[in-house]
Amino acid sequence: MSYAYLFKYIIIGDTGVGKSCLLLQFTDKRFQPVHDLTIGVEFGARMITIDGKQIKLQIWDTAGQEAFRSITRSYYRGAAGALLVYDITRRETFNHLTTWLEDARQHSNSNMVIMLIGNKSDLDSRREVKKEEGEAFAREHGLVFMETSARTAANVEEAFINTAKEIYEKIQEGVFDINNEANGIKIGQQHSPTNPSLPGAGNQGGSTSSGCC
Amino acid sequence: MFARIKKSVLTVVAPDIPALPDTSGTTRAHNRSLPDKFTYARPAFLQLLTYDELKASADHNVRPIIVPRDISILPWSTGYAECVNSGKSEWNEDQAAFCRQVLTHPSKQHPDLPYTYFGIFDGHAGYGAALAASHQFHHILHEKLVDVIDMLMPRQDTGPPKPDILPSPLAFQRSVSKDELIIGALESAFIEMDALLAEDRDKYRNAGGCTALVALFILGKMFVSNAGDSRSVLCQRMSNEVLKSHTSNISSNVPNSKDNSDSHESKWEDKKHMHIFPIPFSHDHTPDTERPRLMSTAKLNPSLMGGEYVAMEYAKRPAVKDLGQRILYRQGTMKGWAYKTLTRDDLKMPIVIGEGKRSRLMGTIGVTRGFGDHDLRAIGSGLPIKPFLSPHPEVNYRDLTKVISIPEENNEDGDYGILIMATDGLWDVIDTETVSKTVFTTLSKYPTEKHRYTMVAQELVAKSRGRINESGHWRLADSKAAATVDDISVIVIPVYQYYKEYLEWERKCKEDLEKKKSMPSPASFETSVTTNGTVSGDEEDERAEIAGDGYDADGETATTTTPCDTISSTTNDEEEGKATAEKEVTSTDPSSGT
Ligand SMILES: Nc1nc2c(ncn2[C@@H]2O[C@H](COP(=O)(O)OP(=O)(O)O)[C@@H](O)[C@H]2O)c(=O)[nH]1
Ligand SMILES: [Mg+2]
Repeated sequence: MSYAYLFKYIIIGDTGVGKSCLLLQFTDKRFQPVHDLTIGVEFGARMITIDGKQIKLQIWDTAGQEAFRSITRSYYRGAAGALLVYDITRRETFNHLTTWLEDARQHSNSNMVIMLIGNKSDLDSRREVKKEEGEAFAREHGLVFMETSARTAANVEEAFINTAKEIYEKIQEGVFDINNEANGIKIGQQHSPTNPSLPGAGNQGGSTSSGCC
Repeated sequence: MFARIKKSVLTVVAPDIPALPDTSGTTRAHNRSLPDKFTYARPAFLQLLTYDELKASADHNVRPIIVPRDISILPWSTGYAECVNSGKSEWNEDQAAFCRQVLTHPSKQHPDLPYTYFGIFDGHAGYGAALAASHQFHHILHEKLVDVIDMLMPRQDTGPPKPDILPSPLAFQRSVSKDELIIGALESAFIEMDALLAEDRDKYRNAGGCTALVALFILGKMFVSNAGDSRSVLCQRMSNEVLKSHTSNISSNVPNSKDNSDSHESKWEDKKHMHIFPIPFSHDHTPDTERPRLMSTAKLNPSLMGGEYVAMEYAKRPAVKDLGQRILYRQGTMKGWAYKTLTRDDLKMPIVIGEGKRSRLMGTIGVTRGFGDHDLRAIGSGLPIKPFLSPHPEVNYRDLTKVISIPEENNEDGDYGILIMATDGLWDVIDTETVSKTVFTTLSKYPTEKHRYTMVAQELVAKSRGRINESGHWRLADSKAAATVDDISVIVIPVYQYYKEYLEWERKCKEDLEKKKSMPSPASFETSVTTNGTVSGDEEDERAEIAGDGYDADGETATTTTPCDTISSTTNDEEEGKATAEKEVTSTDPSSGT
């Protein structure tokens, strides 16, 4: 499918907060209660429509553990949006937000849109972090905020789509230099026929002489 | 800036050559319209299933490190990680594969013989050859092993030999060991894979070429087979105790080399008197390392040079003004130098130019063994290069039953070693010692995690990829030195985990035999009927007689052997077991010994 823009997202936050489940819920509309620990990085993609335009989201789901931190840092490059996730039933995941935010700000493009997400809202009885605390943190750091549940799918669509809207607005305002791929935005081929074909078809073939040689 | 990047690009094919060699004007001008044989994909065990995932994994600006999503797919918790190049080709042209197989004797009278294979293929001038090898090599290897199945099988009961059914005696006979049969299977599989790519030329799009590095675990042994400049290293870490139990005669039988002698001098100690040392299990095939072979091929077949090149090496670059003067040269397999008078012919381009990783064959290609490249032509002269390239591998192996390990030390990963197989993306920027050190420090950071070997692979890829600086250059994290801009693939095999599996298999074989013994079956007499070779009584070196007439050379009749006899000799082999770890690496490649 052709698209007008491709936005790259990155999902960050402590391990176990539900990053992989959020991605799966958004791309596959399903919840998988037992999920393998993410080692390294996983990718998801989905097409959405904003303002009548087809926008492709390419989402990078990262490993949350400290051990992966230095590798994860290199993945901020070229991200237009970030979902910073904590678990409303585990306060320490909320306490770590500052570190995550510092990391994100330091290694990403300054225009990257960050969405703060308090996940597992279905577990209200075990809540350790009040919704107001999340709101306050977001306000203080200039983030958009939302509580979600990867289990019930509550607000999951909204979280991903609102982030995209925010990015889209910035493009309209001319904040993003859309010709620089390092900003995490790619303009789709205007005359793109159908599926971006697999390598080999026409000019996509092995030779990319424009590279470094 | 541009020049800097260019300098750091260590492409195998000289940078000026188009990625897909131009075949116009040749008989295969229609090549470009042919289909791909295999659709481009990353190794199946990574489960990058959609085009979107494929595309994201090939992000040249970020170069994400990809590890298997489900680490239980690879056997023995083997680790794997990869990363795409920084833009020299659209796709990652490395490929990796593994395969677990069982050899079943048609007579069903032998226990099944399992084996495991890993392969790494570094493609150039396209992704086709590496992709084909990753899909097809193991099928070819399997056929080759099936060919010698009779002689590899552990014996249940050979029964009395039946000379009338065996092939008639030949004029001469040689006894051939199982090791040699496995090496032969690997060698012939390499040749056949290359031939297959040649056959496919008319049917499919130009596949380019690839290097091949293969590890085969079978019968308690580890065989590593290499053609090209990927490299495998066994990283060992031993206590003083174990080291003492090895004899001092180190490196007499090691497959080479510079690398190796360095490593012995510089082997260092870590905290608990553990010595870390890497043992090279393969040697790069570049125009520089293969100079003698290339120069003698050229000398013997001058027509291959089309009057454009000269098969000589000169101590000093010949110049027109030196014509008629004496110049130091060597040719063919000469090791030393001699004088000759400089003639016009000497002013042609030498068949091999440059040194080390930057050496080039016919000014074009930097790797001299592997699969494919059947249509590759030299830059400038347009002469075919393939006659100089070879698919023939160097095979090194180790008998794991002879490894010394003290159980109380809990150091099996160190004693048996971690086998690292990686494409040159890793080795171009990190030396063997640093790799070994990284292996063991990473393992000690994750003492119990099931994904610890994956962490090693990830760490090695992260190190060699480095990080991108503000001006867009990839730099090593701990220095300003250039990191690799090439594709990187790393396999991390905990050899002991295979050995454990093997011991379990051996135990079961014995059990089965006990069962069979306790209920005598008349059928067991027929077991050897279909064999065309018999296992001789010589248990120690596992000799199988080829085309035997039922009697072995010493006039002894073939004795009844127990199942798995050939491998349970660990304990009665004390003396041999004391050979140094290095000594147990055996190489088939005579050229690598020099
Ligand atoms: N009840 C509930 N459980 C969730 C939710 N999201 C994730 N989980 C659970 O939290 C655990 C960790 O989720 P995962 O997506 O692997 O976390 P990650 O490490 O951040 O990727 C899993 O056991 C999920 O089943 C949610 O919204 N509600
Ligand atoms: Mg996860």
